[in-house]
Amino acid sequence: MYKITLYGILLLMTACARLDHVQISDIDQSQGSLKPISVKVSEFAIELAVIADVSSRLATNHNTQNSLKEIRDILALMNMGPRTGNPVFNDNYAENVLEQLYAQCPTGKITGLRSTREATTYGAVSGEIVRLNAFCII
Amino acid sequence: MSRFLIALVALVTLSGCVSLNSVSLTQVPNDRNNLISSTAHDWLFLGFTSQNDFVEEAVNGLKEQCKGGKLTGILTKHQTTAYVLVFKREIIASGYCNKA
Repeated sequence: MYKITLYGILLLMTACARLDHVQISDIDQSQGSLKPISVKVSEFAIELAVIADVSSRLATNHNTQNSLKEIRDILALMNMGPRTGNPVFNDNYAENVLEQLYAQCPTGKITGLRSTREATTYGAVSGEIVRLNAFCII
Repeated sequence: MSRFLIALVALVTLSGCVSLNSVSLTQVPNDRNNLISSTAHDWLFLGFTSQNDFVEEAVNGLKEQCKGGKLTGILTKHQTTAYVLVFKREIIASGYCNKA
């Protein structure tokens, strides 16, 4: 129990930001003043292979340890290959970001769009984030 | 021996390896006379950080240099330089400012 608490505290304290991709679009300051607007969507993600690995280290029974290691290896093989961040269970979480952005801009004139793919990670779990920052021409 | 060690440490520390994380480019204008650029960076120890706010510094730098104008053809590079235990994350943005 002490180990689990320690691992939990450690994971919570090591919240870390990750930056994967940044794109800056054209900035038009000739049509009026600019008001910053922003949309951020985040999806819970988990690296199950790491969870299985930690569980195998915490397990006291030898057979359980071996079983968990096998599960870890299978999960690692299943998720092998190029990817950005941890796997999520819903791949539609970033579909309505544009509508949300336009909702914040009554004039409908958006410029200086910055698309950022980032994440906040807590050990094996993470929030996989898509952020759109922009300026509304008012 | 100590000189050798110091030289080795200096060599390893100074020889940062750069990795390019992402690149993007927007529509390039006909008038390409006024190229401006802006960079922003932050330093990480062991890769730990809690924010990515330095990206906005690059955007503000571009805006400041093209007040009242239109900035197009923006090339954005996001790169990371790895030194020993320390990482430098950078956003390098450049574009063409047109003040009609």
